Amino acid sequence: MSATAAATIAVAAPAGRGAARPSAWSRLTHNRMASIGLVLLGIIVAIVLAAPILPLAPPNVTHIAQRLHAPLTPGHLLGTDQVGRDILSRLIWGTRLSLAVGVFAALAAGFIGSVIGLLAAYRGGLADTLLMRGIDMLMAFPYLLLALAIVAVLGPGLLHAMLAIIVVNVPFFARGVRGGALSVVRTDFMAAARLSGLSDMRILLTELLPNVLPGIVIGVSTTIGWMILETAGLSFLGLGAQPPQADLGGMLGEGRNLLQVAPHVATIPGIVILLLAIGINLVGDGLRDVLDPKLKSGGLARFYPVTDAAPGAQRRRGLDLPGEAAARLPLALRGLRTEFRVGRSVYAAVGGVDLSIAPGEAVGVVGESGSGKTVTALSVLGLVATPPGRIVGGEILHHGEDLAGASLARLQEIRGRRIAYVFQDPQTTLNPLLPVGEQIAETIRRHQGLRRAEAMRRAIVLLDSVHIPDAAEKARAWPHELSGGQRQRVGIAIALANDPELIIADEPTTALDVTTQAQVLKLLNELRRQRGAALLFISHDFGVIAELCDRVHVMYGGRVVESGPVAEVLGRPRHPYTQRLLACVPELGRRGPPIAPIPGLPPSTDALPPGCAFAPRCALAEARCSAGDIALLPVAPGHAARCVRVAA
Amino acid sequence: MKDVVVTRRALLAGVAAISAAGLPRAGHAETPKDVLVVGHVAELQTLDPAQAVTISDFRILCNIYDSLLHYKDGSLDVEPGLAESWTISPDGKTYTFALRQGVKFHDGTPFDADAVKFNFDRVIDPNHPYHNTGPFPFVFTLGPIDKIEVTGPHTVVMQLKEPYAPALTMLAGAIGGLAGISPTAVKTYGKDFSRHGGGTGPFKLVEWVSGQRFVLAANKEYWRGAPKLDGLVFRPIVDENARVSEMLSGGTDITIEVPPDNIATFTASKNFIYYQQPGPHLWYLVLNTKTKPFNDQRVRQAANYAINKEALVNDVLKGTANVANGPTPPAFTWAHDDALRPYPYDPAKAKQLLAEAGYPNGIDVTFYVTESGSGMLSPVLMGTAIQADLEAVGIRAKIETYEWNTFLGKIIPALPADVAVAELSFMTQDPDMHPALALRTGAAVNSGGFSDPKVDALIDAGRAETDPVKRAAIYKQLQDLVHDDAPWVFIANWKQNAVSSARVKGFELHPSFTTRFYATSKT
Amino acid sequence: MAGLILRRLLMVVPVLFGVSVIVFLVISLIPGDPARAILGTFATPANIAEVTRQLGLDRPLPVQYIIWVGKLLHGDLGRSYILHKPVAEEVMERLMPTLLLAGTALVLASIAGILLGVVAAVRQNGWQDKLITVTVLIGISTPSFWLGMLLIFWFGVRLEWLPVGGMRELFGGGGALDTARHLVLPAVTLAAVAAAVLVRLTRGAMLEVLRQDYVRTARAKGLTERRVIYVHAFRNALVGVIPVIGLQAGFALGGAVYIETVFQWPGIGRMLVSAISTRDILLVQGGVLVVATAYVLINLLTDLAQGLLDPRLRDA
Repeated sequence: MSATAAATIAVAAPAGRGAARPSAWSRLTHNRMASIGLVLLGIIVAIVLAAPILPLAPPNVTHIAQRLHAPLTPGHLLGTDQVGRDILSRLIWGTRLSLAVGVFAALAAGFIGSVIGLLAAYRGGLADTLLMRGIDMLMAFPYLLLALAIVAVLGPGLLHAMLAIIVVNVPFFARGVRGGALSVVRTDFMAAARLSGLSDMRILLTELLPNVLPGIVIGVSTTIGWMILETAGLSFLGLGAQPPQADLGGMLGEGRNLLQVAPHVATIPGIVILLLAIGINLVGDGLRDVLDPKLKSGGLARFYPVTDAAPGAQRRRGLDLPGEAAARLPLALRGLRTEFRVGRSVYAAVGGVDLSIAPGEAVGVVGESGSGKTVTALSVLGLVATPPGRIVGGEILHHGEDLAGASLARLQEIRGRRIAYVFQDPQTTLNPLLPVGEQIAETIRRHQGLRRAEAMRRAIVLLDSVHIPDAAEKARAWPHELSGGQRQRVGIAIALANDPELIIADEPTTALDVTTQAQVLKLLNELRRQRGAALLFISHDFGVIAELCDRVHVMYGGRVVESGPVAEVLGRPRHPYTQRLLACVPELGRRGPPIAPIPGLPPSTDALPPGCAFAPRCALAEARCSAGDIALLPVAPGHAARCVRVAA
Repeated sequence: MKDVVVTRRALLAGVAAISAAGLPRAGHAETPKDVLVVGHVAELQTLDPAQAVTISDFRILCNIYDSLLHYKDGSLDVEPGLAESWTISPDGKTYTFALRQGVKFHDGTPFDADAVKFNFDRVIDPNHPYHNTGPFPFVFTLGPIDKIEVTGPHTVVMQLKEPYAPALTMLAGAIGGLAGISPTAVKTYGKDFSRHGGGTGPFKLVEWVSGQRFVLAANKEYWRGAPKLDGLVFRPIVDENARVSEMLSGGTDITIEVPPDNIATFTASKNFIYYQQPGPHLWYLVLNTKTKPFNDQRVRQAANYAINKEALVNDVLKGTANVANGPTPPAFTWAHDDALRPYPYDPAKAKQLLAEAGYPNGIDVTFYVTESGSGMLSPVLMGTAIQADLEAVGIRAKIETYEWNTFLGKIIPALPADVAVAELSFMTQDPDMHPALALRTGAAVNSGGFSDPKVDALIDAGRAETDPVKRAAIYKQLQDLVHDDAPWVFIANWKQNAVSSARVKGFELHPSFTTRFYATSKT
Repeated sequence: MAGLILRRLLMVVPVLFGVSVIVFLVISLIPGDPARAILGTFATPANIAEVTRQLGLDRPLPVQYIIWVGKLLHGDLGRSYILHKPVAEEVMERLMPTLLLAGTALVLASIAGILLGVVAAVRQNGWQDKLITVTVLIGISTPSFWLGMLLIFWFGVRLEWLPVGGMRELFGGGGALDTARHLVLPAVTLAAVAAAVLVRLTRGAMLEVLRQDYVRTARAKGLTERRVIYVHAFRNALVGVIPVIGLQAGFALGGAVYIETVFQWPGIGRMLVSAISTRDILLVQGGVLVVATAYVLINLLTDLAQGLLDPRLRDA
């Protein structure tokens, strides 16, 4: 079996039971390559299944006088072989056999390998060690020789060849499944299942198996083609199908010595093996794309270096001209709309956001997850993943220049230089294979054209300024050698490296513990003030925003529902959502009723209700809330809210 | 050893010069003049003729070693070799050989009676200091040797325990080469003699690279005069398709055993010469005479009638074999009964015989087929074609195929009771050996369990008779008897074939299936 | 790092021990014996008994195994019954050509596979990607022995561009260039499947890595796409690809059996096939052990390469 398949099992194993998307079958048929494979395989299978009723010459009857007729001889469409048997007929019957053997061998190897892998992973300890060392030994044995030895023991024959192929392929499945299962076994919920006193068998079958099953199915389906090739190989060496029975490899082997005189005898079965394997591999790949949870949403598409944007004219439709003031602002979002297209669904993640930041100003954006705040932040420099993301409307003005329509080269000049990011999870946002100093220095080199040593010196100074002890030494450390707080300090150092005018911080402290959180926030704020950088701060935590920001935007369902100076909004929240959100913030020293979470869940942005997106969860909702679009109306100087009750 | 190195350098240097002078095609270099490159069917296993067991080894060894007796060109009759003359005592147990004088081994030591005694004692005496250089699997074919005596510097006496008429032909045969081994070489190399060798023959070892080439140079001091070639290179090319490709692309000058289907490619071209030569070989089916249905002579004859042997040799084997008429191959010209007619292809007669034997609705049998094997030609293809012929008369054979070694284990000493038919072939150097091993009651390779006291008596008589004319008469009688008894289905006698480039002159295949390159030259 | 190497080396020993036991067991289960292989149709019980005695095969199998292990500790792999020479000598003579063939194929496959995989990922859905994907599909669907046959037929026999087999010219050959010419067809044939597997894997790994947060970070820093792809993404993708190169080594060593047969390459795969059929137990034993060692060492190397690349593995 191919190593890729083995890898896929492990990768695909921790499958979540994903939300309903287009059905598996329709996704399979929508994949063009997989459709070709399905058609190819369908034709072959149909012919092969119909073999008993097709008007074929008997496959095993020899006519020595009619040997080695060329293809297209009357009566023998594909000619005859070395004893005068009809090649077409033998081919069809042979394909039938090869296909059956391939499918069965893959299923059997998959089954046995999975049992071993699951047991090893679940039992762990000695059982795991013994099983896996055994598997190692089998794998260290050159696989074909092992198969040859097995056939030598059992004697030649298709059944024995198949058995040999199964044995040599079991280790790959066992390894793959074990890898996949281990990641499930180690989860809390497995521990919980064990503690709850469920029987081992039950846990294996109902908890573990469903999680690794997609991986196994992928492994089996992508392996069938390989199995057919391997069995053909043994038959080619004369160890598989025995005469007069034909399988494809056997026909190829018989025809091989005739390559000089009658090339068709070996060429035709070779082509059929090729077509069959192509068909199976295409379908297998298609199946993998459907089943692999990672590939489910939109396939394993590579992200473009810049978010796709609709043409300027289209984006500006309905927008008035930006005021003169925009030219001074490091950032002004005007009617920004960013969407994700997955299959036939459109997720309007950002549905028309206006937001501006003055030099040196700190602006917060707050909202639950899924409210569109992060997408808003990423849209600024075109870092929203495309596909599936796309900026469909509005402008992103940086000193009056529309970044949504900017070239990649222009964006790369601004990224990290004029506008820099601090990302959420320091665990994943640093490259694990580069020393942290280098990760700072490379951006300095890029934007300031400094030499390597000089850039590194600056990087060390920066590390020092974010209060990392032994900065010179730590610059050589790998990300995994640092604590979470230190990593985030590195993230801040990267953002500050080129003295940007605006820092966009996307939940920079969410992944950190409370003490570290406070330190990092303090540091970020100090440094940006020293350097006079503006700040766009994204958070779900009102408390943090209150500490850092001058103004705040509250987002819900991809739109700003309320905005204004922090004190204003905190003191007199107008939108019911803001009010509920504030009610969730624990206040130090305040006694009172326990915090009441907002009932219900935020809406999915592919099915936003008309009117106010919050209406379905709002205790004060009325009929007109859902009647139509509601404007963001000023309620006080600099303070606006998007609620029908405000308008009244 | 020193002169060998020089020779090798000279050979390869000359060779390089010649190939540089020519204009090699892109795919390969032309092989140089006077050096013959042989596409050989297998890797050489040993340089010790006493250890060798395969025909492919003997094809090489017969160019390095001489025997006491040689086969005449083109026949299996014997002529003097290292022995100039010999006498046999009237009781057929004492053979006296007068050895040729002035013969030298490749290492320069002289060939004499002591050397012959050393060589025989090494293989027959378990207490001989060099007996551990064995095993010597085929020595038994030389017969029941009691002892070897040196009666003069160039006279040896071979004493047998009982009369054994085939001894002379066996001494001329491949294993007979053990008489001409250099004792000095055996003593020098011990167990590794098998990798170095040393004889009196027309060619001597230069270089042996496992899996790649086996290089011989002419022995200029050869007692019959120097060979015409300067060098002889055997390339082991196990795969027959690869052998053909190499021959076609000029990588070899001569290829032994061309697959039947490729013969036409070569015979059609003026650039190649095709050779063929029938040998002492029989390809046959063993019938299990102990159990139903082949315990009935009529059913055995039915099988003989059912199979279209002409079609097999002409279409499957592409004329690389002749139809066999009985147990003794025609290559034994003196012993073969030319008047015996093969069973004709007569399916109607076969059906009739089957019905008479009580099988009007046919029979189901198991048929053992081997994948390959020495002398088995194209066993799978043959088996498939035979299966179809048998089926046509109602003998429905289920083929079971085995790898050669396993196959032998299954059929020797006897076929399993539920197996009725097996393919087999036999190569020998004397008409005695095959019947004695495979037809005599209770014999070791009598797989079909055949037993006929008259046949047993004839085999014993033939073995004891030293008069060739009387011996021949006995074997002719034996052939007629076995033909009618039909313990086997007699199918084919193999014609060994070879193809060479038109540059090769003076090459002939020999009925012993060996390839002797002494008289061969190349332009 | 030194600790990692030592630990891995220690793990090799039991694996090889297990392999040797498996070989001995499997061979002992194979019907037929060396004496029969030697004697062919002359294999009468008496002859077999005699040859078996002379070969020393009349002792019980465990005893034979213990004798073998004892000799192994002194570096002696025994003597081949069929080839009449020390196993170690034959195995070494045959191992080099196989390592040359499999090694070249592996290097070819790795270079081509990784290069094309990266190109396909970077140009995802472009014509380069489509072309590569289709080629790869054909690659993994082609039986290697068939490919070898076709290559010989066209490039060797018909066009006469390249030699049809063997490892060097008999005359005037033997130089590196000569060997290279002989190596082209078999190495390409052997590399085809491995390359195809690696292309798929590399492409997948690259696409996967290009979605990672740290790639977004790299882009947010304004780095050029070149640096993003080749410094940030490629190295990380390679961490996942390298162990599979080790796995492919196993396939190359195994697949060499076909290739060596078709191209008459004087390698160990062909030697082992014939040794199995002649029941040359010590030759099989020695050969498999050496090949398994080579395989395990190659995997060790890939582990080390992975360790060099990924600091996290060094400390683990």
